Amino acid sequence: MLRYVYRILTINVLALSLIVIFQTSAKAQPNGEALFKANCTACHVVGDDVVVGPGLKNVHIKYKEDWLIKWIRNSQALIKSGDPQAVKVYEQFNKVAMTSFNLSDDEIKSLIGYIKTTSEAAPAAPTPASGTEVAAGSGAEDGNSSLTLMLVTLTLIVLFVILNRVQKGLQRVADNRNGIPEPVKLTGKAGLKAWIRGNKKLIAFLFIAVSVLGSVAGWNALAGIGINQNYAPDQPIKFSHQLHVTQNKIDCRYCHSGAEKSKNAGIPSPNLCMNCHKYVKKGPKYGTEEISKIYEAIGWDVDAQQYTGKTKPIKWIRVHNLPELAYFNHSQHVKVGGVECETCHGPVGEMEVIKQFSPLTMGWCIQCHRDTPVKMEGNGYYSAVHEKYKEKYGPDAKLTVEKLGGTECARCHY
Amino acid sequence: MEKRYWKGVDELNNDPEFVRLRNNEFFEHLPLNETLQKKAESDSSTSRRDFLKFLGFSVAAASLAACDAPVKKAIPYVVKPEEITLGVPNYYASTFADGSDYCSVLIKTREGRPIKIEGNEMSSVTKGATNARVQASVLSLYDTARLQQPMAKKKRTEWNTIDAEITAKLAEQAAAGKKIAVVTSSMYSPSGKRALSDFIAKYPTASHVVYDAVSYYGMLKGNELSFGKSVIPSYSIDKAEVIVSFNADFLQNWLSPIEFARQYGETRKLRKGKRTLSKHHQFESMLSLSGANADQRHKIKPSQQSAVIASLYNKVAALTGGTSVNATSTPLDKSLDSIAKELVAAKGKSVVMSGSNDPNEQVMVNAINFLLGNYGSTINLDRTCNLKNSNDAGYAQLLSDMDGGGVGAVIFWNTNPAYTASNPKAFAATLAKVPVKISLSDREDETAQICDYVCPDHHYLESWGDAEAYKGSFSLMQPTIRPLFNTRQAGESLLKWSGNTNTDYYTYIRSTWNTSVFPMQNGMSSFDAFWNQALRDGIFEASFVIGGATSFSGNVAAAATLLAKPASGIEIAVYEKAGLGNGAGGNNPWLHELPDPITKVCWDNYFAVLPAYAEKMGWRQGTVIEVKVGNSSVKGPVLLQPAMADETIAVALGYGRTNCGKAGNNVGFNAYPLVSMTGGVLNYYATGVAVNKTVEDDYTFALTQTHHTMMGRDIVKETSLAAWLKDPKAGNPPELIASPEGPMSPEELDLWKTKDEPGFDRINHAWGLGIDLNSCIGCGACVIACNAENNVPVVGKDEIGRAREMHWIRIDRYYTSDTTKENAEEKGLGKLDMYGEMEKPASDNPQIMFQPVMCQHCNHAPCETVCPVAATTHSSDGLNMMAYNRCVGTRYCANNCPYKVRRYNWFKYSDNDQFPYNMNDSLGKMVLNPDVTVRSRGVMEKCSMCIQRIQYGRLDAKKEGRRPKDGEIKTACAQGCPTNAIVFGDFNDPNSQISELFKDERSYHLLASVGARPSVFYQTKVWNRTEEPVKNHHS
Repeated sequence: MLRYVYRILTINVLALSLIVIFQTSAKAQPNGEALFKANCTACHVVGDDVVVGPGLKNVHIKYKEDWLIKWIRNSQALIKSGDPQAVKVYEQFNKVAMTSFNLSDDEIKSLIGYIKTTSEAAPAAPTPASGTEVAAGSGAEDGNSSLTLMLVTLTLIVLFVILNRVQKGLQRVADNRNGIPEPVKLTGKAGLKAWIRGNKKLIAFLFIAVSVLGSVAGWNALAGIGINQNYAPDQPIKFSHQLHVTQNKIDCRYCHSGAEKSKNAGIPSPNLCMNCHKYVKKGPKYGTEEISKIYEAIGWDVDAQQYTGKTKPIKWIRVHNLPELAYFNHSQHVKVGGVECETCHGPVGEMEVIKQFSPLTMGWCIQCHRDTPVKMEGNGYYSAVHEKYKEKYGPDAKLTVEKLGGTECARCHY
Repeated sequence: MEKRYWKGVDELNNDPEFVRLRNNEFFEHLPLNETLQKKAESDSSTSRRDFLKFLGFSVAAASLAACDAPVKKAIPYVVKPEEITLGVPNYYASTFADGSDYCSVLIKTREGRPIKIEGNEMSSVTKGATNARVQASVLSLYDTARLQQPMAKKKRTEWNTIDAEITAKLAEQAAAGKKIAVVTSSMYSPSGKRALSDFIAKYPTASHVVYDAVSYYGMLKGNELSFGKSVIPSYSIDKAEVIVSFNADFLQNWLSPIEFARQYGETRKLRKGKRTLSKHHQFESMLSLSGANADQRHKIKPSQQSAVIASLYNKVAALTGGTSVNATSTPLDKSLDSIAKELVAAKGKSVVMSGSNDPNEQVMVNAINFLLGNYGSTINLDRTCNLKNSNDAGYAQLLSDMDGGGVGAVIFWNTNPAYTASNPKAFAATLAKVPVKISLSDREDETAQICDYVCPDHHYLESWGDAEAYKGSFSLMQPTIRPLFNTRQAGESLLKWSGNTNTDYYTYIRSTWNTSVFPMQNGMSSFDAFWNQALRDGIFEASFVIGGATSFSGNVAAAATLLAKPASGIEIAVYEKAGLGNGAGGNNPWLHELPDPITKVCWDNYFAVLPAYAEKMGWRQGTVIEVKVGNSSVKGPVLLQPAMADETIAVALGYGRTNCGKAGNNVGFNAYPLVSMTGGVLNYYATGVAVNKTVEDDYTFALTQTHHTMMGRDIVKETSLAAWLKDPKAGNPPELIASPEGPMSPEELDLWKTKDEPGFDRINHAWGLGIDLNSCIGCGACVIACNAENNVPVVGKDEIGRAREMHWIRIDRYYTSDTTKENAEEKGLGKLDMYGEMEKPASDNPQIMFQPVMCQHCNHAPCETVCPVAATTHSSDGLNMMAYNRCVGTRYCANNCPYKVRRYNWFKYSDNDQFPYNMNDSLGKMVLNPDVTVRSRGVMEKCSMCIQRIQYGRLDAKKEGRRPKDGEIKTACAQGCPTNAIVFGDFNDPNSQISELFKDERSYHLLASVGARPSVFYQTKVWNRTEEPVKNHHS
């Protein structure tokens, strides 16, 4: 009977963990918010601060909806048409032309709706980056699931102990009934010895279990040396990929332009940052604090709007560290192989702080080389030898990187 | 006729130590303790138990330490230069011109650091060729011995201060009417000359004196006597069918060796239907690289040279109808008869050169060339060579002026007379009489040491500059890195002191080019466009009209009477080595560790003596002798060198520096005291030499050749042109192995399945190297190119002595002897005696063969099968790969390698004070190639066939969606080779050069009978000799 109980318990545990795993936090995004984040955040906040363009708090009160629609669609045309309000705004904000957006009336209305709700909800503070929300949320979920599991385990242990006692009691009752005398209770050393004699199997089991678990744990610990997966050190500038990639939709290769040309993807130099941050002077989360570090590095005098010539290089903490003995080339993977950045670097667009997503172990590299077929069509380098490979491996064989020699030592070690 | 090859004098003489060691596969001394003991580190003996304790502890410590990964910083550019992409090299055209060598080069930079020098193929002069010194010059940039700021009276100072002081003192001396001399090495920079003339304009008492340690003044004088103009003509050796050289080592040092090596290589190629070879005669007393490559080499004592030239002149004159001169008969007259006939038969297509600095001898040589009609074809007096313009007489005058107190100031620019003087003490005393002494040296060298002011010059990789190597052949030098130290371009210093308002050398050069070079072209109307084009190409070729016929106006008869007369007794000849040359780059450890092409000695110079003569004198290898010439005396060890002239001692210049830096100080001894000024010219040989044996008798050399025995097997194949013309397989019979079914080729007898074996059918690429022994001159450029490309460490003399050199490519040098199986019978020799005799040269003028050997990338590699950890494996494109991080250092692979090309890291050569070379300081490490791992202790390494270049070239092709073009990827050795003897390519590309070459009947694999099936192949050497063809010995 007890076996059934155990079995049920096991099933329960599995079911529980499945539930934990499949718990997701799907949140419906209002259309207006998405539009705002996609198009406006590069220059505006819903607040009082001027970033590039003015803060948009209560803009729905200040201007009429019709005028706003016209302005958002093509502000320059509106200015040229001599609209006094438009000219006034243009001149007030240093004659920085606003980009035209090809949005429908409904879309603009939902945008204005979003600004309205946000203005009312958060009267003073700028919108917090939603990345932090996600990060915090997922973190809490992780905590929850492990807590649930711990509770379940604890319950199971308590159940096990109770059942064990019940079984022992039942056994005693049965023994009594069958006339078997109750064993004499021994105490002290003798008692321990007797207990050991009576529970040889349990002790053997425990011994084996502990040594196996210990070895596994030890092995894992040793195998993990030098693997820095999830390494996310604090950087000298609290740069948020979440903000730049997801909200501002900047392509990875705008900043990491080496990825297509070189072995190094490259960390952008501050002069590249200045392409935007000459105008974007305030961030949504840290305000001017972090952006001013760029100015300090490149020597930009914000007040005088000019370079001072005093530079101070930024000392980023390197996150992805391949050992010196391994050669890796970004352009081979990005340009030739067409591998997406996210394949190795993970959901960078969700990372407030950049972290090492992949283990970067040799096993991880090799696994991908074993699984990934080479895109031969359209590349003259490969198509010249495609037929020969088909001949060798059969017409339907998956021509993986490995089959083309991609797991040979000297492809990466020399 | 069969020949035996022997590896060196040790083997030849059955030296007991050699006999004991030759049975060991590795010629090296164990155990390791010897090395450690020198630092008394092994005093405490470590027992096995202690070892295990340490091991256990260190494993635990390492694991703990490894748990916390070190934080690494990544610091991007603040403002990234537009042209730099991290990880992608940039190439800049520039010029190497150190006064000794000239080479138009491309500089490979990575992230703004120059890391490799390549030849510039656009140059009509050097055509993409380089030599060892050019290849090694990049390391000199990162030399810690360079001065980091100007020095005044041995104290650090600032440029403003030193300029003010110098300008005041110069003005003072000029006002007092004292002479001011600017002493430079050969000067052919248009802007440099202009800066000098500006300087002279400012100080009217100033003059420019050109002084080269190795002077060509005799040639200039000789041409003045012959043609009325003091010039050196240009030589086109590639157009010559017969080359006769009198001690002119044109492949290694003479005049423009890089250019000549490329030209010579062309005449030695048998490719693409070309079925002719140049015929090269060399007359010399020591064995030079040119002599080693000569089809026929004639040994003469240095003092006999003039008489031989006169005799040759008479014989040529007799055949061409010239007037004969008085000449003594020489023992070589019979050979000279046939040479004269050959020369006359190749009238207008021959060239005669002499390395002598005697103007009269040069007149005789010019007369021969004139009689042969070589002017206008192989020799051009209109396209003059500007590379050498030293003036021995002018320099001697300066010295006597200095002695007389008439010189107020002297400036030394790229010259180091305190080191190169015959009598350094006397020179120091003379210099002390000059009130203002300024050196522009980049370091506190021997001369700077005794100067008041040192205004350090930039390295050429930091400099702007220009050169006009030949009339109309201009090239530009541009900086490829910001100056590392607070140094200043020498030209700029002169401009400053001349009071020029604009002292920016870049603008100065631009203005020079705008006024004097730009008008020479007519294609471009804008100077900026012209300048950018010239800067990009590194060169500019002006077209000019070649003048009319040359008329010889020299007085041959008069010259003949003034020629040196043959002397009796011991003579001494001084020469330059392939690595150090005249010694200017004396602190370059790569060059010190480059085995001399002929002697295979590293880190030394020596007195080279014919073994038979040494025996007669009671000397042996390592006996220290004292050589006295006049008042100079020099002490050094004896090296037994076959093929030397009898009663002649040869010694290399360039060694024995005392103030060049830690790598080069006190290496070898200084032989400049043996160079004397006689008859108004510097004389590079001496007669009437007195030699004393000292008590020292056991000097040891760091020799690389005897370390790698080939166990008596034949690895170099040769034939004669006549035999080759009859049978293209001459000298290259297939190597067959005896089997039950009769002799079979190693391929047929293969133990391995070939076709079915996975990986053997090279689908994509099949990389390989082809080496033409016929055009390989053995110069060593490939060795240094490989060093620079592959981060090969320098190990020092001591370690080389233990056979632990790390070079991935070596050039084996073999001497041949004349005893053969056939003529042994005539001599009545038994079998045993025959083989014994084969180890000895019957004549004392053996032929020399060179063979570069690197990893052969065997397709059935013996090393791969014995590696217990699979650290060395085979790639699907035919490369033998070496994974350092997998290697545990059993050295089984090296034991099993038939070619002995694997190198073991006995020590960690980087960051190790025991090896104080470039990998031991942060500056020197900047030369490292970031694409190649720096190996650590305990791992095996070897030639990777420049896998990083292959990978790079392939990726470029992939990115552009095309196959790699033939010739697009080149290994460092192939690219550096001055004669294009090494060709890299893809056997799978039927149109590639390497596929073509491999089809040639001269191609063979090294030790084919082993069946290793290498990816590297060689091509038989074909000699252009009149004697009987030689056949190889096969056991």
